[in-house]
Amino acid sequence: MEGTATDIALQPAWASGLRRNDPSTLRALYAKHFPAIKQYVLQNSGTGSDAQDVFQEAMTVLWMSVKEGRLVPADDPGGFLYRVAKNKWLDVVRSAAHKHMKVVHDDRALDQRTDAPDDIEERIVRLRGVYDKLDDKCRAVLDRFYFERKDLATIAGEMGVEEESIRTIKYRCMMKLRAFRKSISGEENEAI
Amino acid sequence: MNNSALDRPTFEAIEAYVLDRMSTEERAAFEQRMAGDAGLRAEVELEQENIRAVELGGVSRMLKSIAAEEVASGKSTAQGNWKQYLKYAAVVAIILSGSLWLLRPSANERLFAEHFAADPGLPVTMSATHDHAFQDAMVSYKEGKYAEARNKWGPLLQAEPINDTLRYYVASASLADGDAAAAVPLFEGLAEEPISAFSDKSRWFLFLAYVKTGEVAKAKAISFDGDPTYAERVRAIKAEL
Repeated sequence: MEGTATDIALQPAWASGLRRNDPSTLRALYAKHFPAIKQYVLQNSGTGSDAQDVFQEAMTVLWMSVKEGRLVPADDPGGFLYRVAKNKWLDVVRSAAHKHMKVVHDDRALDQRTDAPDDIEERIVRLRGVYDKLDDKCRAVLDRFYFERKDLATIAGEMGVEEESIRTIKYRCMMKLRAFRKSISGEENEAI
Repeated sequence: MNNSALDRPTFEAIEAYVLDRMSTEERAAFEQRMAGDAGLRAEVELEQENIRAVELGGVSRMLKSIAAEEVASGKSTAQGNWKQYLKYAAVVAIILSGSLWLLRPSANERLFAEHFAADPGLPVTMSATHDHAFQDAMVSYKEGKYAEARNKWGPLLQAEPINDTLRYYVASASLADGDAAAAVPLFEGLAEEPISAFSDKSRWFLFLAYVKTGEVAKAKAISFDGDPTYAERVRAIKAEL
C-alpha cells in the first residue's frame, strides 16, 4: 500500500503525480530541474549525455522514495534531485574510468546522503533485476496494466486480443516473477 | 509463503488490495483475513514487490523517452535556422533533378545516423609515456577531425596493441569517420572484455556499426539484456531492422 487517502491528499501535486506514474508530472519535473543538473555536470568534465544519465537516476530515486513513503514531500523537489544527481556524478568522476577528471565543485561533505538512503538504491537495483526477467510480451502487458494503469479492455483493444487473454497473460507473467523470487529466496535460505 | 502455485482468484484479490481497488468493506475483510494468515501476508508483500518492479521498469522507460525528446528538441533548436534554408535547398534540388532519390542512404544507414552520436572523448591525460601524443590526438578527435586523430593514434596503438583506451578511441574515430569496417574488429574485441571500462560502450557502437554496414543478423545477435543504458534504445532499433 502506498499511504492513506489523507496522506495522499495532503501531498503536493508533483508527489501525487509520481505516485500515479503520471507522464506529465515526470515531464514537468524533467523540464524544470534538468537544466541545473546539466550545468553542474558540464562544469565538472561531463557531457550532456552524462547529465541525462545521472538526472534519470536521481528521478528514479525520487520516484521510489515517494512511492515507498520514504520522503516527506516538500513543495519543491529540486533540492533533492540536485543533491542526489550531484552525488551520483561525483561517484562517476571518482570511478576508475574518470580518475583524471578534475572536479570544480565538490561540497559533498555538506550533503552526506541525507536524501537518498542507500537501501533505496539497493532496492532499485534489485527490482531492476526482477524486471529484467520478463520477456517482451510480458512487459508489454504488465507495463500497460501496472505502470500505465490501463484497464484490461483497453489493453486488449491495443493488442488486438480478447480481454480474457490479457488477464491470463498477466496472471502467468506475474507467476513467473513469483517463481523467480521464490527461487532466489530458496537459494538464500539454503546459503544460510 | 509456500512454493506451490498461487491460484488466480487469490492473486487477483491481492492485486486489488495492492492497487487500492477494493471497496471499504472488501478491504476490511481482506485485512482481517491477512491478520490471521502469515502466508497471505507474505504473498501480499511479494506481489507488491513484483508490481513495484514492473512500475520501475515503466518509469525507467518513460524517463529515457523524455530524455530522448529533450536531446532531439535541443538539436532542433540549434538547427532551427538551418532548417529553413534546407527546406529551400531541398525544393530547388528536387526541381533540378528528380533522380536525387537514387542517392539516398539505405534504411540502415539512416537508422545509424539517427542513433549515432560520437563518443565525446576524454578530458583526461594518460599516465603513460605517450601522454602528449595521446592528448594531441584527443584534441583532434574532439574537434571532429577524426581522420587526423586516427593517424595520430595509429602509431601509439601499434606500440601498445592491448591498450583498451587506444583501441576504443581508434575504433570510435574510425566509426565517426565513416569507416565502420575498420571500427568493427576493435569494438568486437573490446565488447568481449567485460573487465574493460569500455566494454558496454563498445557493444553499443559495435551494434551501430553492424547496423550501418547492413550486418543485421550480427546486430540482432548482440544481447543487451540487463543493460540499463542501451537496452531500450537497442530494442527500438531492432524493431526497425
